[in-house]
Amino acid sequence: MSQNPAKPKNEVSLRRWTKGPNFRWNLFLVALLAAECIVFGIANPKFLSLTRIFTSANSDLPIWYISIFVTFVMITGGIDIQSCAIVGLTSIIIGVAWQDFGLNIWIAALLAILVAAACGALSGFFVAYCGVQAMVVTLGGSFLYSGLGLLVSTLSSTEAYKGISGFPDSFKALTKIKLFGVVPLQILIFLVMLGIAYLLLHRTKYGRKVFLVGVNPSAAEYSGVNSRRVVMSTYILSALAASITGVVMTSQLGTAKADLGGNFTMTIITACVLGGTLSTGGKGSAIGTALAAVSITLLRFGMPLCFNVNKQYLDIPIGMLLVVVVVGRAIASNPMVVAKVAKRFPAAKKAAG
Amino acid sequence: MSVEKKILKARETTSFLFLVALFLIVGIINPSFLTPSNISACFNTSVVYTLIAVGMAFAIFVGEIDVSVGSNMGLVAAVVGTMIQNGSNWLVAFLVGILIGVIVGLVNGWGVAVMKVPSLIFTLGTNGILRGLMYLQVGVEQVNQLPKAFKDIASMTLIGSFTIYYCCAVVLTIIIHYLLTNTRRGRYFIAVGDNVGGAELVGIPATRTKVLAYVICGVLSAVAGIIFCSRIGIVTSLSGNGYEMKAVAACVLGGISLSGGVGSVIGAGIGAVIMASISYLLVFMGFSSNYDNAITGVILITIVVVDALMQRRAAVRNRHARLAARTLAAVSEKEGEQ
Repeated sequence: MSQNPAKPKNEVSLRRWTKGPNFRWNLFLVALLAAECIVFGIANPKFLSLTRIFTSANSDLPIWYISIFVTFVMITGGIDIQSCAIVGLTSIIIGVAWQDFGLNIWIAALLAILVAAACGALSGFFVAYCGVQAMVVTLGGSFLYSGLGLLVSTLSSTEAYKGISGFPDSFKALTKIKLFGVVPLQILIFLVMLGIAYLLLHRTKYGRKVFLVGVNPSAAEYSGVNSRRVVMSTYILSALAASITGVVMTSQLGTAKADLGGNFTMTIITACVLGGTLSTGGKGSAIGTALAAVSITLLRFGMPLCFNVNKQYLDIPIGMLLVVVVVGRAIASNPMVVAKVAKRFPAAKKAAG
Repeated sequence: MSVEKKILKARETTSFLFLVALFLIVGIINPSFLTPSNISACFNTSVVYTLIAVGMAFAIFVGEIDVSVGSNMGLVAAVVGTMIQNGSNWLVAFLVGILIGVIVGLVNGWGVAVMKVPSLIFTLGTNGILRGLMYLQVGVEQVNQLPKAFKDIASMTLIGSFTIYYCCAVVLTIIIHYLLTNTRRGRYFIAVGDNVGGAELVGIPATRTKVLAYVICGVLSAVAGIIFCSRIGIVTSLSGNGYEMKAVAACVLGGISLSGGVGSVIGAGIGAVIMASISYLLVFMGFSSNYDNAITGVILITIVVVDALMQRRAAVRNRHARLAARTLAAVSEKEGEQ
């Protein structure tokens, strides 16, 4: 943009928006969201209620919070499948530190977030500095951290399967606050996290480094980027997101449990990929992932409500969505297809270029 | 290279020594562990993991991964279990199960090798679809009215106290290992995983090899599903959940590199035994099963990190050796000119 200083600033920023690498894909996601709203809304008008949608979002928080930061990891070419384990670990640390060690609930939450950051740093260290594949490290991490969560729960006087409850009201009130009586605080936290992720990824030097490391790690290294530190930091970020999820979910349920994260790994990765993140690295956007996460939640909420689909069958449409999107993109980016389209529609080529 | 040296250098030897060390340590802490029946129990419980890990090894050999094996296994177990429960012919049920495995393998292979979708993403998608189909098949109930004759096969022993299933799995693994290392087509898998471009240049059909690897993976998961059904006797809609991660862990423990082209199916089998026996061993060491996941994670991370560091050191040493040789050659050439 700097080569055209004469242009008015408005137009430049508009061009930056529409010419952005993920603009078309984000547009598609917005269309998908709108389509979901229309289809589900026609099938069952009850769907179109903000309160209901926000309530359903509460159970899908791990997808929303974590996926926007797992996007960072995937842009550097890695993958993070340990975050669900960290959610449970955070939750149980809060519970045990508060109930059995008598810490203030907020200090306990802070302690849990610090532990989670350390867990992320450990995995990130192994990936970045020891050169082990991210998949293996975070697989080991998911075993290790969920195991640690179980061990921490044995320190408590309460049996593990019951969970620790009876938190002070001030802590539980965290998720009872509603802005304008409609928007729960969880959604605000999500928006704040999304804002942070967007600024970090698309507006700061750090974000450019994350992309550069994903496109070409050696080029990044040669241009003076400490690529190892950048890679490690993305794992810390995703662990921090997981720990915030843990705090919010503990407050929301009023119970600390070691298995709170459930098994959202597949859905989180689906949200990232659906949001336009390349699993090979170098491409992705925070907004895209957030849009994808929201549309997945709407799907998980709308299918049972409007078409009476049993909640357990929801893996089928989400799996189908993932497969259709990745195969569709593979076909669209196939050089043969691109050439054919360019021949048939010369204008499209110009627009694409 | 002589046979002994080859065996000593093989990566699966380390895993085997690790397994022996594990058994010995547990034996020292609690001598009552070291009885043939306990040790064979460790091997017998690993049969399902062994088959899935060997299948997964194929996907990893060609440089890809298949995280749909757990759901694939569960779906086959559910379908075969329901058919046998309803009194259909066993052979027909088995064939239907294996057919499911072939179809799943073909779909995965098509997506990964032909459409060139990243394998983790694609198989994650098929994993979701298969898991959903399994809910459709089983629902909220469970398959638990299997005929006694079918369940009894699982407790039949063949050699000592090893079950007939484990013996078959071992024989199968050894045959696959022989085919992989000693036949032309078998070596394609490793070649494709090591260097796809190079393999294609020398005329190896890389796409077809990858599809075949996925089909083999699917079939082995299907067989594992049938055995799971007979061994456990109960199939719920959650059966097989998380087995894919245990299979990947077993492969890594067995010395298979996730970047492809390195390792052997024997290693996968040994890794599966380690994975399966950890919870059994913990009981003998006086730990509760709460330690299960934490210790699995520690072992997994330790092994891969140590392996990565050793490989890096070897690479650095090789580079130094090459550099030294080149300088030496250059120097002697210069001297020759003078």
